[in-house]
Amino acid sequence: MSEWTGLLRLSVEDRNGKTVPKRVYFEGALKVMRPIYLSASGQACYYLLNPGGGYLDGDRYRMEITAEKQARLTLTTQSATKVYKTPRNHVLQEAEFHLKEGSYLEYLPDPLIAYEQARFTQKTVVRMDRTSTLFYSDILTPGWSPEDRNFSYEQLRLITEIYVDDELAVFDHIKLEPAHQKMDSLGSMEGYTHLGSILAVRENITEKFVNQLYQEVADSEIDCRIGISRLPMGGFSVRVLANQTQVVERIIERCHHFVCNEWFQTKPSFLRKY
Amino acid sequence: MTEQYLPLMQLCDSNFPTGAFSHSYGLETYIQEGQIIDRQSFTQWLTAFLNEQLIYTDGLACKIAFIALEQDDLDTLWDLDHKLTVQNLPSETREGTQKIGQGMAKLVQSLYDIPVLTTYLDRIKKKQSFGHPSIVFTIVGHHLNISSYSTTLYYLYSTCSSLIQNAVRAIPLGQTDGQKTIQQFHDELQKATEIIQHLDVEDFGIVSPGLEIAQMKHEHVNIRIFMS
Repeated sequence: MSEWTGLLRLSVEDRNGKTVPKRVYFEGALKVMRPIYLSASGQACYYLLNPGGGYLDGDRYRMEITAEKQARLTLTTQSATKVYKTPRNHVLQEAEFHLKEGSYLEYLPDPLIAYEQARFTQKTVVRMDRTSTLFYSDILTPGWSPEDRNFSYEQLRLITEIYVDDELAVFDHIKLEPAHQKMDSLGSMEGYTHLGSILAVRENITEKFVNQLYQEVADSEIDCRIGISRLPMGGFSVRVLANQTQVVERIIERCHHFVCNEWFQTKPSFLRKY
Repeated sequence: MTEQYLPLMQLCDSNFPTGAFSHSYGLETYIQEGQIIDRQSFTQWLTAFLNEQLIYTDGLACKIAFIALEQDDLDTLWDLDHKLTVQNLPSETREGTQKIGQGMAKLVQSLYDIPVLTTYLDRIKKKQSFGHPSIVFTIVGHHLNISSYSTTLYYLYSTCSSLIQNAVRAIPLGQTDGQKTIQQFHDELQKATEIIQHLDVEDFGIVSPGLEIAQMKHEHVNIRIFMS
């Protein structure tokens, strides 16, 4: 038996302007369907499926995704990822993304919903070529609890490392532990319940570009807080605090549209969920 | 008493020109928004800044750097410098910290002859390292035979006391309120240093979303007296 509850290995390559599967392997509670082409651009879109319907105590998932030279890939989920009570062991989700020369990967998962007494750790490592582009997002939300408490989960921990040409370019570590933190306090979640993040990495991102993006989204929603800043080695990060999934999703979508238009002169397709 | 505290106190002194007085690390955003208006609201922010950010970044870095210096493991030191910089997502805070680190390194270089520091400065000049105040401070603490615990405690003290003095100027608070806050934080800083003793490399770089957003938003604060 595999040590993984779900394992996915996917690599895609460019064939005459169209991104096609090169290797697809999955086992257990993680799989993908055939790629979908949402536009004429040749960019492949894969929906990640969790046939188990949710993450349970001690589950371990791993994804290894490779975009070969010039490949263009969208990865999303079919629905929200639900993490249930983990009395014995936390749920682990590991992901490794490889972006080869000139490739583009956008990772736009649905929200993670952490229910009462859930413990979840996500470790993501991205290894990208200097000439590739990454758009990576995350949404963390609290699940419904019988006592109607906002933060009934135990711990959410997200560690993201992005290497550009083997040099660490971004390190991001979020740990939310409601029982040990004053969640509503100034500096923490500040009265909000939902957290959204974007890490976008691409060469030659200027201060002006980041400012334009900020102007584009800063006042687009109410009841939220948005921060956007330039990364040290090309790219930008976004953090959003809000009370509704839809608000975070719309902000991420706005950022996504903005960069697709600026970088590729394309308009992203609507990601249909079934 | 075997430890030489006075030289380290020189680095913590508000007259030691590191440039820390030009940086608020997001505090000014809250002041402009009217969210920090008095000692109580400021204390809430400083408590979060210390316990949800500083201990996992600079504070833990002091401990890791000290061990690395004891083992003469310089690669770990340079990795730490790199990691401290790339984990700092808000650009003003990142670049401000780098500037303080570089300024502090140069100034300390003219006061002490410490080979590791000379190497660090050389790496900074060649753009192999960024420069970070917690590493410079720990190099000095280690050089002076001060314990890892005390070096970390003094570093946290110097960071927090600068922020309190910045708050006195910016909110503004009365001088007495400022001193009361410093006194109140004596215990907080001891506790934070205790916590750091139980952290390990796995805990490095944890940040708090609210603090980070305020640091990012500072880029768009119109009237400002601080650079971050």
